[in-house]
Amino acid sequence: MILVIAEQQSGTLNRSSWETIAAAQQAGGPVKVAVLGAATGAAAGELAAAAVTEVLRVEAPALSPYTLDGFVSALGQVVAAEQPESVWLPHTYQTRDFAPALAVHLGRALVTDCIGTKSDGARRLFVRPVFQGRLLADVAVDGPALATFQIGAIRADSLVRGAAPAPVRTVAVSVDAGAIRQAPEAPFREAKQAVDLTQAERIVAVGRGIKEAEKVVLAQQLAAAIGADIGASRPICDAGWLPMDRQIGSSGQTVAPKLYLALGISGAIQHLVGMKGARTIVAINKDPEAPIFEVADYGVVGDLFEIVPAVIKELKG
Amino acid sequence: MHATETWIFRILVLGFAAAFAAQVWTRARLILRAPNNVRVGDDETGRRLLRFVSEVIFQSRTIAERPLVGIAHLGVYWGFTAFALYTGVEFLAGLGIADFTGARWFRLYALALVPFSVAVSAGIIGLLVRRAIVRPAALGEHVSGESVLIGFFILTLMVTFLIAFRWEAGLAARINWWIHALVILGFLVLIPDSKHFHLVLSPLTVYLRSPVLGTVPNLDFEREQVGLETVADVERKQVLDAFTCVECGRCQVNCPAHATGKPLNPKTLILQNEAALLAGRFETTLAEVFDAKVLWQCTTCGACEAQCPVGVEHLPLIIGARRGLASNGEAPGALAAVYNHLERRGNIWGLGADLRQKFVQSAGVEIFDPSRHEYLVWLGCAGSFEADFQKSLRSLFDILRAGGVTFGVLAKERCTGDLAKRTGNEYQFQELARANIEDFTAAGVAKIVTSCPHCLRTIGTDYREFGFTAEIVHSASLVAELTRSMAVPGREDVTFHDPCYLGRYAGITGEPRDLLARFGAAVREPDRHGANPFCCGAGGGLLFEEHEEGRRISQERLDQLQRTGAATVVTACPFCSIMLKGAQASANTQVEFVDLMSFVDGRMKAAAPAAVPRP
Repeated sequence: MILVIAEQQSGTLNRSSWETIAAAQQAGGPVKVAVLGAATGAAAGELAAAAVTEVLRVEAPALSPYTLDGFVSALGQVVAAEQPESVWLPHTYQTRDFAPALAVHLGRALVTDCIGTKSDGARRLFVRPVFQGRLLADVAVDGPALATFQIGAIRADSLVRGAAPAPVRTVAVSVDAGAIRQAPEAPFREAKQAVDLTQAERIVAVGRGIKEAEKVVLAQQLAAAIGADIGASRPICDAGWLPMDRQIGSSGQTVAPKLYLALGISGAIQHLVGMKGARTIVAINKDPEAPIFEVADYGVVGDLFEIVPAVIKELKG
Repeated sequence: MHATETWIFRILVLGFAAAFAAQVWTRARLILRAPNNVRVGDDETGRRLLRFVSEVIFQSRTIAERPLVGIAHLGVYWGFTAFALYTGVEFLAGLGIADFTGARWFRLYALALVPFSVAVSAGIIGLLVRRAIVRPAALGEHVSGESVLIGFFILTLMVTFLIAFRWEAGLAARINWWIHALVILGFLVLIPDSKHFHLVLSPLTVYLRSPVLGTVPNLDFEREQVGLETVADVERKQVLDAFTCVECGRCQVNCPAHATGKPLNPKTLILQNEAALLAGRFETTLAEVFDAKVLWQCTTCGACEAQCPVGVEHLPLIIGARRGLASNGEAPGALAAVYNHLERRGNIWGLGADLRQKFVQSAGVEIFDPSRHEYLVWLGCAGSFEADFQKSLRSLFDILRAGGVTFGVLAKERCTGDLAKRTGNEYQFQELARANIEDFTAAGVAKIVTSCPHCLRTIGTDYREFGFTAEIVHSASLVAELTRSMAVPGREDVTFHDPCYLGRYAGITGEPRDLLARFGAAVREPDRHGANPFCCGAGGGLLFEEHEEGRRISQERLDQLQRTGAATVVTACPFCSIMLKGAQASANTQVEFVDLMSFVDGRMKAAAPAAVPRP
């Protein structure tokens, strides 16, 4: 049985929990999901939608707010009681904090930042990038292991949902608040940018080639048609055609969407470095020499005022 | 002189001298307690002495930036020097120690001083009018009462000196003598606590100034140096600088950050340093003394330091304070990302080495082999990854090939560490520098050519501290030399933007103009050019600045370049080009940018049959 530790804060699940559950489902065999906190009802109810054997509510007053000692103590008890063959966690900041301590506490190996698993017939192999992502290593572990999964490595939409909600069970753990050495302060929240393009899956970005403020609406129509967020290169934001928080590049946001549609963007290096992480880059530009074509997966040399309306029409038709 | 008068004078001199000494002692103590960074035992003595003659005795820098004011100051300075002996003799007589005032030589000497007194008077009246009536912005918002008072003191000294020729004896003569003597004493006690302390310190600071602009010596990690964190860390030369600053504001008027409405003002930095030292705020961090934000607004263009007539070095203070911040993890977030790129990928943009490889292959350049290649062409981060600059490198390759110069590139490169050095990430700089020097040595490199002025500076100057000796030239110099017998006709109007690291730091101003002139361009100079250009805004890590306060420096420079009326801007630095093109995209103007190498290459190719050697 694989035990997935889901992460929640104030009742809101961390999205990456779904990815780790999906990874566990794909590995085969029964999957249980545990969620920790002082009040886990809402999160557990949500998790029950996944096709898993059981959702465990690991509750104790001392588990909120999060502390390393509290989580290690509680999870130590859960693992001892449930005896999972493997414990999987999303590779979040919180996991990075307590997982090593938990591994030591349990005397189990910990494989971090995995992007998937496979089998060599006899054993489960954990796949993780090494040498700054240049190589992938298959890691075999003797005995029960802990493993953390890189965020975004497994598609959350591959999650198998259950026909009926999975049973939810409350697991009583005793966590001695006095034994917790950490004294957390109220979480610090950096002034959040009004627009967060870093999480966007699709982005339509406009550059100087859009020519005038009134034409930006064309890009907005295209964005609406494909369910994308709108971004821009510096000149557009400088001119005030789009707000500053839409700027992509080294002096704006660094984005990594699945699809990046660059309209009339020449591809100055200060812009390129902000979007080079996009999985698929489509560029429309009338200058065949534009540097954007160096990084584009699909390039269209032509007039965006002809191409974009045609694309919108096609999408709507 | 009456005996009573002598005694009164002796007591006064003693009192005023004590007051002067007490004030000097306060400063001397601060100078002596500071960590010693004064390097006089270097092999630069000859150059230092030459500079002393040019800048102290002939006031070349004072005059260069402001000719009229400078000449007025020269008059006052020479006058003061000429008067030193006169004042000495008069004081000896007044104190009743020895009286040479009746001596024939003294009479002749006094007569010879008359033209000097006229020069001083004319100079000081000019300076007083400027300070009190014209009031240039460089001198600050408020008229300094003390400076005006001292101006009148000097004028009084000259007038009383001249009157002494008319009234040689009697009550009037005595009163005149006393006024002269009292003014000198009054002046004496005003010196240490005012900008006039430069009379004492500036000959020293000019002599001690580093022979190379923007020298910020490496930190010694063995000695656990981490840069300047608190006022106590401010080094000896910087303390001397703080006390010698004459508050003329040349640094301020030449600073691109100040000119575009940012809070950074190099003059203010020096004065804040002085105030913190005098207040004994040794434990205060420099981020509090200067405001950390301001420290990160400097492009390290060097205009402040290059203009300072009293040898103040701003860059060691600014970069030193940045080091203190960077050592404590307090560099701005945007730079943290760049440091990460440098650490992981060895270039400022964090791009993959495969892109550089692709460029090298497509340009058909060989890997450097000392047995077959004379020059190593150093690409730099921009040459490895920036499309426009790569075009200019292709031009350079073609020019070199046409000129029969053999060259190759390194199989792999990493950033020279320019950005790390200028932003105070000294550890990273030294790591990059050592690794690059190892690569150069392993490859057997003796001669390097680069088109990037920042790489030129870092490899050519900063690497010397590690004992690196290979020769490095900017492509402008090499190509100017290579094509010196060539010329193509034409007089196309262009303007040339001197990169700070080429024109000001390396002093390479003639070669680009020579090339442009020979290859069919008529250069229209912008307001600031040559050895004192106006920055593009990219240096000192500001290429990655997230939000620029005030007006963009690049925008200001683009305006200056456009005012020349030339439709083409020739650049010679990838970062200037990135900044100015960015400004142009925002301003939506139609100026054509072309790198110097592409300009030359284009003209060479267009005129290939006609490119005849000059007679």
